Formats: sequence, structure tokens, C-alpha cells
Amino acid sequence: MKRHGIALAGPLALVLAAFFLAPALLTLPTGFREYVPGQGITAGSWTLDAYRDIVSDDFYREVLWRTLGLGLAVTVICLLLGYPLAWMIARGPARLRMPLLLLVIFPMMLNLVVRSFGWIALLANRGLINNLLTDLGLIATPVKMMFNLTGMLVGLVHIYLPFMVLMLVAAIQNVPRDVEAAAMTLGSTRRHVFLAITLPLTAPGILAGSILVFVLTISALVTPRMLGGPTYRVMATLIYDEYMQMLDWPTGSALAFVLTAIALAIIWAANRVARRWSGMGAVT
Amino acid sequence: MSRLAFERVGKSFGTTEVVRDVSLSVAEGEFAALLGPSGCGKTTLLRMVAGLVAPSTGRVLIGAQDVTALSPDKRGVGLVFQSYALFPHLTVFENVAFGLRRQRVSGAALSERVEAALAMVRLPGLAARRPSELSGGQQQRVAIARAIAPRPRVLLFDEPLSNLDAQLRDEMQIELKRLQRSLGITTLFVTHDQSEALSMADRVCVMAHGVVQQFDTPEAVYHRPATAFVAGFIGRPNRLAGRIAADGRIDLGGGVLLAAGEAGAPGTAVEAIIRQEAISIAGDGDGLPGTIVLRAFNGARVQYVVRLAEGVELVAETASSGSQAGLEPGTPVRLAIAPGAVFALPAA
Amino acid sequence: MEMAPGRIATWAAWAVIVFLQLPVLVVVLAAFSTTSYLTIPPQGWTLAWFAKVLSDPAWLAAIRMSLFLAFGATAIALALGTAAAYAIARRMVPGADALTALVMAPLVMPSVVIGVALLQFYALTGLRGSIFGLLMAHVVITVPYIIRAALTSLAGLDGALEEAARVLGATGPEAFRLVTLPLIRPGLVAGALFAFITSLDNVPVTIFLISARQTTLPVLIFSSVEMGVDPSVAAISTLLIIATGGILLLAERRFGFHRFI
Repeated sequence: MKRHGIALAGPLALVLAAFFLAPALLTLPTGFREYVPGQGITAGSWTLDAYRDIVSDDFYREVLWRTLGLGLAVTVICLLLGYPLAWMIARGPARLRMPLLLLVIFPMMLNLVVRSFGWIALLANRGLINNLLTDLGLIATPVKMMFNLTGMLVGLVHIYLPFMVLMLVAAIQNVPRDVEAAAMTLGSTRRHVFLAITLPLTAPGILAGSILVFVLTISALVTPRMLGGPTYRVMATLIYDEYMQMLDWPTGSALAFVLTAIALAIIWAANRVARRWSGMGAVT
Repeated sequence: MSRLAFERVGKSFGTTEVVRDVSLSVAEGEFAALLGPSGCGKTTLLRMVAGLVAPSTGRVLIGAQDVTALSPDKRGVGLVFQSYALFPHLTVFENVAFGLRRQRVSGAALSERVEAALAMVRLPGLAARRPSELSGGQQQRVAIARAIAPRPRVLLFDEPLSNLDAQLRDEMQIELKRLQRSLGITTLFVTHDQSEALSMADRVCVMAHGVVQQFDTPEAVYHRPATAFVAGFIGRPNRLAGRIAADGRIDLGGGVLLAAGEAGAPGTAVEAIIRQEAISIAGDGDGLPGTIVLRAFNGARVQYVVRLAEGVELVAETASSGSQAGLEPGTPVRLAIAPGAVFALPAA
Repeated sequence: MEMAPGRIATWAAWAVIVFLQLPVLVVVLAAFSTTSYLTIPPQGWTLAWFAKVLSDPAWLAAIRMSLFLAFGATAIALALGTAAAYAIARRMVPGADALTALVMAPLVMPSVVIGVALLQFYALTGLRGSIFGLLMAHVVITVPYIIRAALTSLAGLDGALEEAARVLGATGPEAFRLVTLPLIRPGLVAGALFAFITSLDNVPVTIFLISARQTTLPVLIFSSVEMGVDPSVAAISTLLIIATGGILLLAERRFGFHRFI
């Protein structure tokens, strides 16, 4: 048994050790190397400069807070927009369930770059929305909706909303209808049933969806790059610039490490909360 | 068709010993039942024969061959699973043909033998269906046909009837027994249902805590239980706390004294086991005096709760068509209990 | 009374559905429209952008590269991932939980971090710009989808089925091929589809690893957009939209794809 198991799982374990684990671990020390502009990494010296910069430099701090704020905003908007749709899919007319689900899955499966490009065509200064508003005489000069917070929010919400909706659909479908019916027979109004029964029972799904969306948002590179442009930056685009344009690998590595640590910490904390909740849910 | 034997077989999972030093021999063509409560090790024992569990100690023999180290595909046994384990992606025909194809049977011989097996379990004409299109009873028959088609040396059943409703179960018991007789294949049948084991098997092996308690004919197991466990497990027993009196009878308290087959030393605290079906009720006569407290009708039988004294109550039963079937609560009765149906076990 | 959605929730739901399709519609309209910037209504219709894209060697090379990577990575991930998932599900390996954590980790790590880690590693080992390195990177990011699909399918399978096959005379590999594999196939196909789309979609890892000569389709779209919006990008995007929609509908028809999301 054991011998067969190693033969089966071994090849994948080796591939991942070589092309995932080793590279990830090798990246870590880079953050403690010294970077001299124009020369790159100097050999033999170790320093905490890169990490010190991230903590003390206003520019890095701003990007860090912007990334986390963006993650929070996108998560909240996805939750607010996603819940009614998830509700409709889970509890609405049965004949609409499948088409609606496919209309949620379709944009999710669609190429990220293509979707962001679609938003550029809509939001750019000479994009569809500005053209339309100008033609209608509502505005004289184009409204800036790209390379700023608006564009990034719209694009990121669009990318991650389907994930939230699918998580919420699963959570709502798991709420036993008998429990809601019981609350109604006990004299609850619809609003009260929703607030007292349904919402708390879907909390694990809300948590799971929120964590997923938050972690994906703070790690996103493509959409922030395309809709945020080269100037309005977040962690991921900054890492990209440090590695590809500034060639400052130590700072890039330190930023990558901080980003990974935040993502893992949030997932870990969420798992702990979820475990406590699942203990509570044992009655149902 | 071969003898099946366990020689000093043991099995531990971690520190838990599920089978302890079992030696057992099932004769050629015999129908043996492994009976016991869940967790007694009976299914582990069965899976050892199929090669799905390796014993920690001891040997398993089929015929003269030691199969202990043989992989399941080389053992030539047939196994009917509790869940049936029919291949959902294959038709009934292909399910039954599965074992035959592994033996390189093909063409006309294959369809002939598949059809023969399906005819044996009285399931003709459904060969093209998928298992999901069959009823539970039909799936059961396909599972049996699949197991017997390759003509195994030993046939194994793992609680095969537990998923059927009561009526179908009774029907299948008789049919399985008839099938086993006509095939003459050595059979091991695992069940926790004593009536199933007693009615079908040539010999019943009662197991508890991984140990064989008794391996004997159904009559012997029922009438002459070898251990306290068997006495308490078989039949529908009343269990009453008592003490052995000076004359060897069991004192149940409140002045009720009961004659027992084998008692023990006077003064010993015991648990008296009295089978419900061994108690006969009469309006008068010699037996123990008592009063009906409760009557419960369940079709073929009527059960009475009879109070013999304050705190001493027995459940007795009688045929629902008999003269004693209509007694109302409050009626005084006499209970005749055969001493052979009373067992005194050392109190726990 | 049912807790069915009320009127406000229904309107909100439909508005969100429209929001989700909006960029798709815009891209498709732009691809067929004569002007380089889209207006409503479009000023004229043309297929010229499609012709331009499909005759441009740079786009064609990128399409070829992307398809090669997606097919290659999915095939490798399918083979390695199914084998590993089987060993994990049947508890045939010591430390199965740790192994599961390892194979699922690329899903948890920010893609951009995987990208820079591989960039450094490939710079060190001389694999930078090599197709092999790129292929392996895509295996790493696609294999979690295969593992997840395979583990879910295997968990839903009655373990007695394979035992039944073994007792009936099938060897271990035969039992897998004849019983287990056909039963987990729908899950594996769904997982492979996810893996394929993930590979085809990927920018954040790929962009660190490609050479100047070889690029993938999404990376080329990405860099083209950085240069300025061009309707040929809309045309190539429309082709991707049609392909994705087609695959999704086909997968839904064939085996109820939504069950595996």
C-alpha cells in the first residue's frame, strides 16, 4: 500500500517541491539582501533595509493601506451586490436557476484581461460612457473613471463578484427551509425571519465568500494594472514594478513576503472562526 | 467448493483488538452464519476471507490452500456487499459478466453463464438495465448473481438483507437458503439479526468482542447456549436481577422463586434470563401467580407484561389466535416456565 | 409562505446580472464596429478587425503558445494530480494531510508571488524564457483544480465498488481503470476544464517568465492594451468570449458543469 502510494503521489510532490516550494523558499532570503541602484544586489551583505522601507516609507505605507482598503471595499460591495442575486438563484423561480447560474459562471470563466479590457472600453475618457454622456449633452468634458479608485473598484468587483455569489448560493441552499417555516409559524415577519434566522445561518458562507474575495483582491495584478494604470498602485503591481522595472529584488521580495503573510494570516484566522461556528451549528 | 478455515486468526487496528485468536472451520458446502452485535469482529473476519483485510496473526485456508497472503483477485471467492456495490456505470449484464471477463470467458459462453446466473436469482429480462433503474430487491439479486457467476470456491455475504424491508427480507431468506443448497458452495453469512442466522444457517457462530462464543447448530445455540453472552443475546429475553436460594432456585425478590437449569452456589447474585416465548400463560394451575399489567398486540403474537410481585415484572407472549390472547389488564394468571428456558448468569 | 425573493431583491439581482455581462457586450460590439472607439449606436459594422487579427503572425503565435501551454499543462496536471489525489483519498501515503496542503498551496499563494518566486528561481537555474519552465509553472497553478475535483469525486465513491471489482478477479490497476476511473470521469473533466481555462487565462505568473520572443495570448492582450486601445484587441477578445461561452454551454449540456463549481 505505502509503496504504491509513494509511486502515485511522488511525481507530483517532486514537481511541486522543485517548481513551487523551492522557488518560494529561495525568494525569502532575497528580501534581506542589499540593493544598490544601478548595480543590483550586492553579494555577501545582509540587511533589513527592504523591510524597514516598507514600514517607514510613506509611499510603501500608502500602497499597503490602499491595497487593504481596496480589499475591504471590494469585499463589502461584492457582498451587498451578491446577496440579492444569490438569493434569487437559490430561492427564486426554479426555471431561472440554471440560466442565472450560467450567467454568473460565464463572466467568471472569461479571460481576466478581456474583462478588464471591456471596462476600459466603458470607462476610458473616450470610452462608451463618457461618449454617451457627452453626446447627450450631460457633460462637457469627460469624467475621469480610470486610473483611479473608481475604475479599480468597478473592475475588481466585477472580477470577484461571481465567486461571492457562488459561495452565497451554496450557503443559502444549506439553510433548512423547515427552520424558516418554524419561525414563521411562531409569528415572525419575513423581515424578522431573514434577520434572525437566514442571515445568521448563512454567516459561514458569508465569511468564506468574503475571505476569498478579500484575499483575491489584495493579490490581484492584472485588473489594478489595467484599470489603475502605472501610477495608481497596489501591492501586486508594486511587486511587479520592483522586479521588472526597478530591478530592486530585495524590496520586491519583502513586499511579496508581506502580501503572502497577510493572505495566509487572514485565511488562518477565518478557518479558526469557521471551526468555532461549525461547532455551534452541530444542532442543525 | 472448498472447506474454509481460520487458524488462530487475530486482528488489531492500532491498539484495538477486533478479532482475537479465532479458530473456525466451515465444512465443504456448509452454510455458516457469523452472528453478533455490531463491532464484534464478524465483518472483519469475513473481509479476511476475501483478502480485503490482512490478519495480524494466524492463517486463513480455503480448501487446503493457505490464502493468507493472496491478493483478493486470486482467491476465487464471491462477496455480496451490504451496499450491494453494483457498478453504477455498467448494465446488469456487464455487472454479472465482470468476474467472468476477468477469467477470460467471452462470446457465447459469457452470455450463457450471465443468463444462467440471472436465472438462478430469478431475474431474467433485465440484463440491459442500469442498477439505478432497479428496485432494492432487484439490485440485491443482481449482486448475488454477480457473486455466483464466476463459480467461487467460497461465497461470502456481508449483511446483505439489512437494506430490504421486512417482507422482502423474509422472502429472500428462504430463497437464499434454497440457492445455497442447489449450488452447494461453502457459505459464510454475516448478520446481526438472529432470526436470519438461525433460520438460514446449518451452523451459527456467535461472536462477541472479537471472540467466538459458540459455533454450533441453530438448535444448540438456541437451546443450549454455551456462554452467558449467547444466552442473553439469542431469543427475546427478560432480564431480572436475583440471587440463588438455598434450594438452588433463583430468588427474584417479593417471594418469587424460579427453577433454573443450571444455577450455581447458593447466595450468588445473578441475572436471570427468561425467554419471553418460553413462558406459557394459563388461567389457573400450578405456575407462578401474577397479574396482567399491559397487553400489546403485534399481529401474530400478543405480548403481556405480567406482575409477579411488587417490582418483579416479566414480558410473556402467546399466539394472537390462542385462547389466552384476549386477556385484559387486571386479569390474574398463572405462568408456567420450563426450567430449561431459564438461565442464571453471574451478575455483572 | 416561502422566503422567496421580494420585488426589490429581484430587481437588484437582475441589475447585477446586467452588470456582470456589461463588459462582455461592450467588447463584442467594439469588435464589430467600424470606429476605433465605440459609440452607441455604433456608426457601422465590419469584420475587418477579425481579419486583421487572424492574419497577424504575432497574434497567431500567441494563440498557438497559449493553446500549447493550456493543453500541455492540463494533460500533465491531470496525470500527476489524479494519481496523487487517489493516493491521498485512499490514505496510501504517510502525511496525506501535509501533501494535500502542499498541492493546494498554489491556490492560496498570491499568483504574483508565485510569479516572482519562479522568476528568481529560473534566473538562477537558467530556465528563464524556456518553454519547459513556463509549462511547469502552469502545471503548478492548474494542478490544485484537478486535485480538488478528483478528491471530491473520490470522496463521493463507495469504497466497496473497487473492493467488489478486486474480489471478482480484477487486479488493482484493472479495478481503477474499469470501475473507479469511469465513475470519477465527470469530475475530472470538470477539473480539467477549470485547469485549462486557468492556464489560458493566466497573466500574473506567466508575465514574469516569458521571453521577448514568446508570449501568450492574455499577456499580449495585456501589453497591447498598455500601448493603447485597439479594436483588434476587441476582436481577439470576442473570439475568446465565443470559445469560453461555447465550452461552458457544451460542458453544461454534457454533464451539468455547474455541479462541479
